Amino acid sequence: MLIRLTNVNKSYRLGRVDVRALDGIDLDVDRGDFLALAGPSGSGKTTLLNLIGCIDKPNGGRVVIDGVDVTAVPLHRLAATRRDALGYIFQTFNLIPVLTAYENVEYPLLLQNVGRRERDARVRRWLDQVDIAAQAKQRPDQLSGGQRQRVAIARAMVAEPKLVLADEPTANLDQATAAHILDLLAKLNSETGTTFVFATHDPAVMSRAHRCVRLRDGRIAEEARALVA
Amino acid sequence: MKKLLLALALLASTPLRAEDAAAILAKVDQFRTPLDSFSVDVELTVYTPRDKAESSKFRVYGKGSDRSVVEFIAPSSEKGKVMLMLRDAMWIYMPTASRPIRISPLQRLMGQASNGDVARTSFTVDYVAKSVTEGEWEGRKTFVLDLAAKDADIAYSRVQLWIDKASYEPLRADFYVVSGKLIKRAVYRELGQMAGRRVVTGIEIDDLLRPGNRTMMRYANLTPKANPDRMFTKDALGKW
Amino acid sequence: MITRIAFRNVFRNRRRSAITLLVIVFGAVGLILFGGYKQQTFRGLRESTIRSRLGHLQIYKRGFATNEAKKPLEFGLDNVAELRRAVESDKRVKMTAAQITLMGLISNGDKSETFLATAVEPRKEKQMNGQRLVSGTDLPENESDAVILGRGLATSMHAKPGDYLTLMTTTSTGSLNAADVRVAGIFMSGIKEYDDRAVKMPIAGAQQLLQTKKVERLIVMLNETDDTQAVRADLARRLPGIEMKDWSELASFYHQVVLLYNGIFGFLGLIVSAIVVFSVANTILMSIFERTREIGTLMAMGTTRARVARMFLAEGLVIGVLGAIAGVVGGALLANLINRGHIMLPPPPGYTVGYPLRMLMSPSILITAAVISIVTATISSIVPALKASRMKIVDALGHI
Repeated sequence: MLIRLTNVNKSYRLGRVDVRALDGIDLDVDRGDFLALAGPSGSGKTTLLNLIGCIDKPNGGRVVIDGVDVTAVPLHRLAATRRDALGYIFQTFNLIPVLTAYENVEYPLLLQNVGRRERDARVRRWLDQVDIAAQAKQRPDQLSGGQRQRVAIARAMVAEPKLVLADEPTANLDQATAAHILDLLAKLNSETGTTFVFATHDPAVMSRAHRCVRLRDGRIAEEARALVA
Repeated sequence: MKKLLLALALLASTPLRAEDAAAILAKVDQFRTPLDSFSVDVELTVYTPRDKAESSKFRVYGKGSDRSVVEFIAPSSEKGKVMLMLRDAMWIYMPTASRPIRISPLQRLMGQASNGDVARTSFTVDYVAKSVTEGEWEGRKTFVLDLAAKDADIAYSRVQLWIDKASYEPLRADFYVVSGKLIKRAVYRELGQMAGRRVVTGIEIDDLLRPGNRTMMRYANLTPKANPDRMFTKDALGKW
Repeated sequence: MITRIAFRNVFRNRRRSAITLLVIVFGAVGLILFGGYKQQTFRGLRESTIRSRLGHLQIYKRGFATNEAKKPLEFGLDNVAELRRAVESDKRVKMTAAQITLMGLISNGDKSETFLATAVEPRKEKQMNGQRLVSGTDLPENESDAVILGRGLATSMHAKPGDYLTLMTTTSTGSLNAADVRVAGIFMSGIKEYDDRAVKMPIAGAQQLLQTKKVERLIVMLNETDDTQAVRADLARRLPGIEMKDWSELASFYHQVVLLYNGIFGFLGLIVSAIVVFSVANTILMSIFERTREIGTLMAMGTTRARVARMFLAEGLVIGVLGAIAGVVGGALLANLINRGHIMLPPPPGYTVGYPLRMLMSPSILITAAVISIVTATISSIVPALKASRMKIVDALGHI
């Protein structure tokens, strides 16, 4: 088991009111899972994703990732974890505008101080994997939405993380492109064994997930396992 | 008779011997500074071409030729001031100040202190006669002595002195500086009886750099006094 | 990578970066022009002080400064001719001039005043020349008893050129001396207290008055001011029995001006730097604001806070370096143009003619301006960089 959440709470202040985003969440995620956190907006799925992704801290409860209790560590000290163990894919792609596609994918490896030759090999491999090699030298503003997302996926995968978190990865894509992206993600999951956790309200995504955890008002409402895909 | 006249004429034109000159000088100084340690009252009047004559009164305590303490008596604005005049230094003490002030040689040149120096010059101590000739001054027959300063630090390097041939009384002295320029003239106007002897009681000193400026100094009550050495020190000044 | 990102981000918003660069360039150019003007003024004042009054070195007899002379020139230089030969044998020496200062009384027959005389060698003095003649002529070369008077003294003595006055003083042995002198001319130094007492006379006349062959000091004029310390060391080694002062020890007015100008221009520089700092900081803050989501992404990917801060510091540095280069080039060009332009400034106090506006350009001025530009630009990015590094990832990602 890769991730265990125990009695996790998260609230935030909205004006003068405390809003309970998550309330008493217990969740286990196994290695190799392809899991969707589903629910309408305001259900807390993004918040939960952020907690798992070590970019936010719960107010109560524990988050253990690969045996390490990340709740005990201040957020800024988790940078190494984020760098080595985690990968992110965003709804808005979030590529660095001044860097080319190649350079965007290269960035995480620079953070890890990987040598030039190995870096180049890995970047090229992943550009190929996501089928974006031809656009290597182009900047994000020259790429379509789908192409950008593919670059983002390559970037998320290049450091060979244990876990990839994706927040509404298909929301800004048209249906056809979205389908392609989903195929790609599923393929990567089955080929590399990387765990994927999505936050989504897209039924297409939910249907592709092996597990689907539904959230409502900050609580887990139900959980469904897909029959073997 | 003729031979006597010739001899006299010869005598008149030959320079006297050194001892004779020294003896003459000693006699002259007896009229001027007869006592070694004394006190005397001085009245000094300054005449200038434009301004009114100004008078002041002092009591002077002297010892030797180069030490004196001058106590200001009048006018009332000056009363209480005391000056110490030594060969190398001059100090003034004012009752309003806490310590005596040293007067620089330059300042000494400027005021009446320079006339005081002139009046008290000892010809015997500081000068040697280079030659004696005969002359005349105001109708009297005189010896004219040409005096040279013994040391290079004496103020006036040369003095020409007119002495009454018969009485050896000093009549007139011209004071020259190194360049040969005539700076001051002293005329010994009045002689009288003081301390049991005949002495100069009035001197008239002309500042020849500023024609028309004349100082008259009158002496009275010359009294021998045993002035102790320590009286002529800067520290003693403060105790007046 | 940080440099690459920094560079590209600088050019990302051309217009904003251009304005920021202009501010830095403005600051650098200002520093260069102010600095150049200041240095030029210093040099001018220094050289005129040296060449018209002090000389580069002044040689005295050893003990002059520490001992109290009881008689005039008790600690004067003897063997002047030999000393001169020894000094002038150094090729770096342009000339030597002997001087004596003395005090005494000056009289016009009516009244006496104290005077303060500088006795000089008339021919050498002409080469130096510090004061303006108001009437008459300067000291003639061959007449030892001609003098020139300060204006105030001439007025007090009711003297005009051609009149005769008497100088009286104590000699070097302590006796009195007096001499008649002819007034050749009247001068004005610009300082009233000096002109009220000042006399300039030939050194031969002073030596006669003081009954001495000594002089008080020997002024040494060099060809190059930069040689001063080296020549001083040499002379100290070669010549026994002397002590020296160099112009810097004597030029108190010069040092005061230097202090004043440094203070004024330093203050101006500070103001300019403040403007640059605020401007650059503002630009970088705006840039950070616009890139909030980007920063959040970087941090989500594992970029440490320190690295994020370094990224923005690098941007400040890049802007600073670009601005410094442009500023130095622009400043040097502008200074050059101004120097060629022969713009005349109004005459300073005491003078009748103006002088051309010039800026001294030296590597140190340019380097200083460049360094200050780079440093201020980098400093101004510190606070914004720290702000960026402390952003909360979730808030940043959620930013529009």
